[in-house]
Amino acid sequence: MMVQPMPRHVKPFKLKHVGSTLVLMALLALVLYPFLWMVISSLKAEPDIVTYPPQFFAPGYTLVQYQRVFSAIPLWMYLRNTAIFAFGTTLFSVLFDSMAGYAFARIRFKGRKALFNLVLITMMIPFQITMIPLFIQIFKMGLLNTFAGLILPRMTSAFGIFMMRSYFVSLPRDLEEAARIDGLNEIGIFFRIMLPLCKAAMLALGIFLLMGNWNDLIYPLMLTTTTEMRTLPSGLAMFVGERVTQYGPSIAGSVISLLPLLILYFFAQRYFIAGIAMTGMKD
Amino acid sequence: MRDWLNKPAKAAYLFIFPSMVILLVFTLVPVVSSVVIGFFNLNMFFKDTSFVGLQNYAKLLADRRVWNSFGNTLMFMLMEVPLQVTLGLFVAVLVSRASWFVRLARSVLFIPVVCSLTSISIIWSLILDPTIGIIPYYTQLLGLGKCTFLKDPNLAMPIIVFLSVWKNFGQTMVILLAGIQSINPTYYEAAMVEGAKPAQQFFRITLPLLLPNVAFCVITNLIGSMQVFDQVYVATRGGPMFRTETAVMYIYTRAFSAPFQLGYASAIATVLFVIIMILSLTLNRWFLKREEAVYA
Repeated sequence: MMVQPMPRHVKPFKLKHVGSTLVLMALLALVLYPFLWMVISSLKAEPDIVTYPPQFFAPGYTLVQYQRVFSAIPLWMYLRNTAIFAFGTTLFSVLFDSMAGYAFARIRFKGRKALFNLVLITMMIPFQITMIPLFIQIFKMGLLNTFAGLILPRMTSAFGIFMMRSYFVSLPRDLEEAARIDGLNEIGIFFRIMLPLCKAAMLALGIFLLMGNWNDLIYPLMLTTTTEMRTLPSGLAMFVGERVTQYGPSIAGSVISLLPLLILYFFAQRYFIAGIAMTGMKD
Repeated sequence: MRDWLNKPAKAAYLFIFPSMVILLVFTLVPVVSSVVIGFFNLNMFFKDTSFVGLQNYAKLLADRRVWNSFGNTLMFMLMEVPLQVTLGLFVAVLVSRASWFVRLARSVLFIPVVCSLTSISIIWSLILDPTIGIIPYYTQLLGLGKCTFLKDPNLAMPIIVFLSVWKNFGQTMVILLAGIQSINPTYYEAAMVEGAKPAQQFFRITLPLLLPNVAFCVITNLIGSMQVFDQVYVATRGGPMFRTETAVMYIYTRAFSAPFQLGYASAIATVLFVIIMILSLTLNRWFLKREEAVYA
């Protein structure tokens, strides 16, 4: 490196960042404001929510809105359904995507190129074009309003296969050869040698899929018709849509539905960000 | 049997089997059936099903709600995509330094991406609610009159756009930040030695080298914005006066509420699909040409 040492004028260097810091602070405020408003309002009594002029804070706080929303809609059930649907889908998809990604990346077999092109084409198909036939299929299979019906179509994702393939391609060559000489069969090679090497990629993909399914609205809305099978987004959307707006319970319900992923984000932030960053990678 | 476990070329089929079956049954078959269903008169009760040829397509051309919803989708796209990508790019540059504050900012600005559009739409529509919302109160104090935002036919769509940008710019930020961080720092060192200003560095180095990533963001956001549904379904249900009814919202309404016209809705979905394909392929080609010009 032939870069000259920077002369020591610290002040102008810092001044340069004042503008960008201020802009960032304004953006932070814009992002955080709705969340603060939501949490504080969810702890207000109804008169303090509808008071005029509107106030950000209230004279006193209460948990009554949470009680109200839990008695108005089966929120625990929604939470359970969302968890079963989102985690079930994610676990299967990560496993199957890794298996397929591994084969496409590291094994030569007949039809590999054609089948992988098919995966790439599938990646470009928007969900809305498959929505109505998918509904008919699930209905005819008798799987409407079941977890099987919700999970089955999403047990693999073309993006996941694509992503895992890119990861497996990047692993050093000849990893498998040594294992083959040691007498491990192909299934053993995949589960004992390959999977442990791609834990981070699988986690990032898993978080990405979990986030998508946990938050999905139109898909569970379409494949479930009974209250007992609603997920958090579809149940909440029906709740705010059907009756006269109940301000307090709507806000408390939103807090409950956002909390699980936000807690997960707090602890596993880098996997959330890695998952999104991976969507932008070119092969 | 042993062959399947020991011969790589055979085991490969075991590895891809589950994924291929699922993709075939639940994506590829539906795509084809969607086109086929579009030629049928088919409702949710599967009674009186009949082949009607191009009748559904003739009908949709004459359906004012089809034109309206496609127009609204186009409006949404034309506002949302440029705003989102520009803001995402701007913020990505702002947070490409490394300091504790910038790192904190990155984490916070990404929070909306994690949240469900359903909850986000509920919260923003309450903040903008004419009865309890703080913002309508302030617009009145500022002498702008009592804005009803989502209930105002002229403001509803811009608000839906705002909400979508607010929710999604963090995603663009992360993708473009990854691109910025992979640019070789020697370019900037050389520029600094030459005395290039930050703006020059951005337009001469960052932007050209980031073009593939920007293209990716534009195209994926474009495809996404053609499918906008959640925020409309939750915040306005397509109102007021159908001003926010988007293509997918209309398809969903046609298919899943009375009289449940699955065939007609499929025809509309097929048209939307063709438009999305043409748009993304055209844009892809346009960006490829631009990239060639940069690297030539």
